[in-house]
Amino acid sequence: MSYPVKIVIVEPSVILRSGILSVLHRLNTIQMDVFEIGDIEQLKLSLNWQKPDLLILNPCVLSVFSIQQLKKEAGNNQLKCIALQNSLSDLMSLKAYDEVISIYDSAEQINEKLTGLIAKPEYEKRQESVTLREKEIIVCVIKGLTNKEIAEELHLSLHTVISHRRNISSKLQIHSTAGLTIYAIVNKLVELSDINK
Amino acid sequence: MNKFRFGKYRETDVMSDLIGENYPALLVLSRFGIALGFGDKSIGEICRDSGVDTDTFLAIVNLMVVEDRTALSADVRVSIESLVKYLRNSHDYFLSYRLPEIRKKLTEALDENQEDLNKAVLEYFDKFVIEVKTHMLYENKKVFPFVRSLPKDGKKEKYAAGFSKQHEQIEMRLTEFKNILIKYYPAQSTNEINSVLFDIFNCEKELTLHNTVEDYLFIPAL
Repeated sequence: MSYPVKIVIVEPSVILRSGILSVLHRLNTIQMDVFEIGDIEQLKLSLNWQKPDLLILNPCVLSVFSIQQLKKEAGNNQLKCIALQNSLSDLMSLKAYDEVISIYDSAEQINEKLTGLIAKPEYEKRQESVTLREKEIIVCVIKGLTNKEIAEELHLSLHTVISHRRNISSKLQIHSTAGLTIYAIVNKLVELSDINK
Repeated sequence: MNKFRFGKYRETDVMSDLIGENYPALLVLSRFGIALGFGDKSIGEICRDSGVDTDTFLAIVNLMVVEDRTALSADVRVSIESLVKYLRNSHDYFLSYRLPEIRKKLTEALDENQEDLNKAVLEYFDKFVIEVKTHMLYENKKVFPFVRSLPKDGKKEKYAAGFSKQHEQIEMRLTEFKNILIKYYPAQSTNEINSVLFDIFNCEKELTLHNTVEDYLFIPAL
């Protein structure tokens, strides 16, 4: 399971949803990103977009789908599903869930249940550093070359250059040429005199 | 037992309470030209004394307070003249005070031994300022004087979309600049660099609020 754990709360009642959010906020033992969904229609979208690790959902909203279907839909067998139980429900229907949280559970109980489902954090993968090729491209960009010119200069296809540039942006979180210039100077890829030529 | 105070401000609320609970509201006061030293007077009284439209004042203040913008009711009554006055002063604040002040502090905080790098950093900042200036002066000269004759209805959405896109870009630039300073600028962690970063963090929030006022109050009021 990746860290922070991505949790999606599916609960039509705004009171219960906000309540769960507030309890999760108070449990500061687990690092998590939490999203809330009030409308079951949005669940499908969320499974594709947010790719949650864990769903906390009101069993009533799931009447038409089964948990298995849901996991299949998410394309993630590791997806854990917790039922948020707010009334008497049929034990059999809750069996499909990985865990059940009752609205009367204490914060400690909820914490225990969540911790039980979440595997130990893997050491976070260090963000890959910029490759040599990407460095070459950075230098070209700050010299003011267009993508096409870069492609010619480095004997690459235009498509490759664009994909390199996308990777650079996402690795460095810098999207502008002026920003790349600063990065390049800090990392001694260029001297300022090279650029102003 | 925790105590919570929720809800929007009303004209009968005491102005000094508002400032105590939300100090960034001071910016709204100065942009409307409301002086401090108002004792225990209410928001409404002070607005009337200062010739400020109370509804507009409250609309802006409440925009700062409300987290869920979608919950904002569309029927806030704002006076377009007051709003334009506010926005012009706000532009003036960024262009004549806030951004030059940050630049000044920045030059003082940068490490003397990094001449090349500092040049690039200041160049980045100056480019950003030019972008902000172009956008704000365009609004001052081409939008505000003609608020009465701007396109209505159908064209408004298109217009609004263009506006908020520009706003997003400006905010993104400043965020990127801040991240570059934090992640890549090899500075000693000095009080000076902290202070300029705090200013940039605040300025980011102020810009966002300014843009929110334009997107959520100005555009719909046209």
